[in-house]
Amino acid sequence: MSNVREQSHPSNGDLTSPAEGDLKPYVVFTQLNRGDPHMYAGCVDAADQQMALQFAREHYGQDQKCVNIWVVPKEAVTATNYDTDLIWRHTDQTYRLARGYSKPVKDKWRKLRRAEDLKEYEKDDLKETF
Amino acid sequence: MSGSANVGVHVDHARDEDPAKMAEFEAKINAGELLEPDDWMPQAYRQGMLKMAEHHANSEIIGALPEGEWITRAPSLRRKLALTAKVQDEVGHGQMLYRVSQDLGKSRDQMLRDLITGRTKYHNVFNYPAPTWGDIAMIQWLIDGAAIMNQKTLADGAYGPYVRTMKRINMEEAFHFKSGEDMVLTLMSGTKMQRQMGQEAFDRWWYPALMFFGPPDKPHAEQLPPMRWRMKTVTNDNLRRRFINRFAPAAIDLGLKIHVVKKDDNGMVIERKPDENLRLDETTGNWSFTQPDWDEFYRVIRGNGPCNAKRLALRRFSYEQGRWVRHAILRGNAGLPPAA
Ligand SMILES: [Fe+2]
Ligand SMILES: [Fe+2]
Repeated sequence: MSNVREQSHPSNGDLTSPAEGDLKPYVVFTQLNRGDPHMYAGCVDAADQQMALQFAREHYGQDQKCVNIWVVPKEAVTATNYDTDLIWRHTDQTYRLARGYSKPVKDKWRKLRRAEDLKEYEKDDLKETF
Repeated sequence: MSGSANVGVHVDHARDEDPAKMAEFEAKINAGELLEPDDWMPQAYRQGMLKMAEHHANSEIIGALPEGEWITRAPSLRRKLALTAKVQDEVGHGQMLYRVSQDLGKSRDQMLRDLITGRTKYHNVFNYPAPTWGDIAMIQWLIDGAAIMNQKTLADGAYGPYVRTMKRINMEEAFHFKSGEDMVLTLMSGTKMQRQMGQEAFDRWWYPALMFFGPPDKPHAEQLPPMRWRMKTVTNDNLRRRFINRFAPAAIDLGLKIHVVKKDDNGMVIERKPDENLRLDETTGNWSFTQPDWDEFYRVIRGNGPCNAKRLALRRFSYEQGRWVRHAILRGNAGLPPAA
């Protein structure tokens, strides 16, 4: 055992030095590929933005592909409240979604068009949204 | 509805630009990479993208005007909800696109002012009237349909913020288009009067829809900067052909007749005859058709369309009426109402 450790005695009670306070929290957003949206990845504690970026690179930029990072002071984020802020109303909103129309539209077309013509026409629909 | 296809992007490329940086820029584009606002890009590219995004933003908010007029007259509660949501979407598209434009260096207020004073343009198609509910149906089927076709290809472009905005917008356009299809199908499966209303609206909108994709291609369009730099990815004529191949047979099956029309100064049809050039070429799979009247197109762009003055007057009115609201917000004393 080193001398230093031998000379350190276990002791109880308050520390003699004053409390130091915490670093500030920063929210981290990472981007996996150029052009992708940045996504919330987590938080780091840092003294300033540059340090936050450095920590974010270490914590969130190493375990998967990452091409860009944003850090934002947590206090700069204003958020809604799960309990009191209804964002997506619970009433029927299919009138404002494409899929609210896909079945009636298909049914009506079927009465008017041959199946193969309809199939050709539907090729230009945006499939991912229906 | 929306779109930016017919904005004339004349970019004077490569002038006074560092050749090494220029080569790197073009290599990036050829590699399919997306450009971000802080990346180096030639001045002409930044200006061209700004012009395109601003024109698109202008078109979204002007496009909401003819449809907004019909909200109070929608034929059922569900249609009223849908049209309200659609108009709200379009204004939202305008907001997103003004944001993209601001990042390219122009102030939003300046853009709104330039639109009102005619220094900048919006899409030509919104200078035509929507006198019946049938027009609302045709606009959502044909014009939103054309907008999706165009915007799908713009989403393959190279400028990151614009591309991401297109993807977001297209999700909502899919709703506009489907609800338009539903309205058109309802009209054309309805009474004789409904079908006639559908036909008359179709006669008013078919040619504006064909013009939507912009004037015929310049020679070697693929090599000119807008396409070489992937600001656009498909030529006007190719988009128009895709549109006709999809919509002409659908219209015929709906019981619609495709007419070549003559309109009066108010945009109302005064003469129509069947399009004699309309036929499917079995070997190519393409439909041939009578070209739009391109003189009319340029006349309307220059401000002499049926509704140019009306649209801008309404925009001016709302800009001036909304002044106190903007001032209150800027002064920070317009508290938001408490959440319901
Ligand atoms: Fe739309
Ligand atoms: Fe739109």
